[in-house]
Amino acid sequence: MVEKEVTVTSDAGVHARPAMMIVREAMRYPCKVTLIKDEVEADGKSIMSVLGLAILSGTKLKIRAEGDGESEVIDFIIRLIESDFK
Amino acid sequence: MKSIKINDVFNEKRSQDLQIKLMAGQNGTENVVKFGDLNRPGLTLSGFFDFFASDRIQIFGLGESAYLSSISDESKENIYKQFFSYQIPCCIFSHGAVPDDSFLKYADSSNVPVYVSLIGSTRLVTMLVHIFDEIFAEKVTLHGTLVDVSGIGVLLLGSSGVGKSETALELVERGHRLVADDMVTIVKTDSSLLMGKGSEMLKHHMEIRGIGIINIKEIFGIRSVRRKKRLDLIVKLEEWNPAEEYERLGLDEEFYEILGLNIPMVKIPVGPGRNIPVIIETAAFNQSLKKSGIYSARELDEKIKKWISKGE
Repeated sequence: MVEKEVTVTSDAGVHARPAMMIVREAMRYPCKVTLIKDEVEADGKSIMSVLGLAILSGTKLKIRAEGDGESEVIDFIIRLIESDFK
Repeated sequence: MKSIKINDVFNEKRSQDLQIKLMAGQNGTENVVKFGDLNRPGLTLSGFFDFFASDRIQIFGLGESAYLSSISDESKENIYKQFFSYQIPCCIFSHGAVPDDSFLKYADSSNVPVYVSLIGSTRLVTMLVHIFDEIFAEKVTLHGTLVDVSGIGVLLLGSSGVGKSETALELVERGHRLVADDMVTIVKTDSSLLMGKGSEMLKHHMEIRGIGIINIKEIFGIRSVRRKKRLDLIVKLEEWNPAEEYERLGLDEEFYEILGLNIPMVKIPVGPGRNIPVIIETAAFNQSLKKSGIYSARELDEKIKKWISKGE
């Protein structure tokens, strides 16, 4: 299991399109991906679940992955968030 | 441990419901409470300070107010001095009884918020108990889909891509009601009851692969959704796994633990040619039967045993 923390800096937060980008990354790996905000856990492979976290600019997010490709998927998602989904 | 500020407990909506107004101790509204226990301080006011539950919210009913107005100013001062030497989170007077100036002055200087409610004590206490139950209820957010299947709250669990949303969509098509898709908040409202609801923001939206995000309420109408539902049955959808043993008899019940409560669970393998929504409907009806004391598998087993013992 790998877990890392990241702060969302994108002005618009995680709305539909960024959520889809995270989910698309997560789907490429067989491991379980979980996004955690204030102890609420969301499935990183479900768009509705990620949207439901209501991630705003400045939100601190924990990303956890368990299984094959866990470190790669976390690095990809962190890079995505740090680059403001560009 | 969870704690909440007094002014968050008595927010605008709740203040309206409780018909309360802050009379003194504005600086104490940032005080926190860690549990929702209440205390009637009658005995304490009469001078008996042993076992004074000072860390609870103090409710002054008509009795307490009448007692305070019956005693001399001098004994009042003594009582107030001692009373406010404790760390009291907050005082509430019922029946619209406004405390005297001396009480309010002591409350102000010890930063104890004092509220007056127009409601009578019994009803006020009942309302406060409900409010604190809601505030301090244990909750957890799960990745699953909650559907009301003919009155039985069915929570679909399973890994992403197994078809929870599609199954829920088919159940809605068949006249059942969606509570929440993909993100379900489960609240333990009572020692034996779990209530499930969706996020306020996502409200009855669903993602169906190939179509995208849809609004179930707009497409299927108001009767296709509901806001919250008690959890009665867990249905775990799994990719068909030849190594796994699936229930064939139904003599034994399996359970899934959420917040310390065991909810009956069935594991349903998803495979070609299996009509999952119909199976879930049947599982829900079967659960309904079990709740009314009818266990089909056990009854058949009893009949067979009787038949065998007769030797026919």
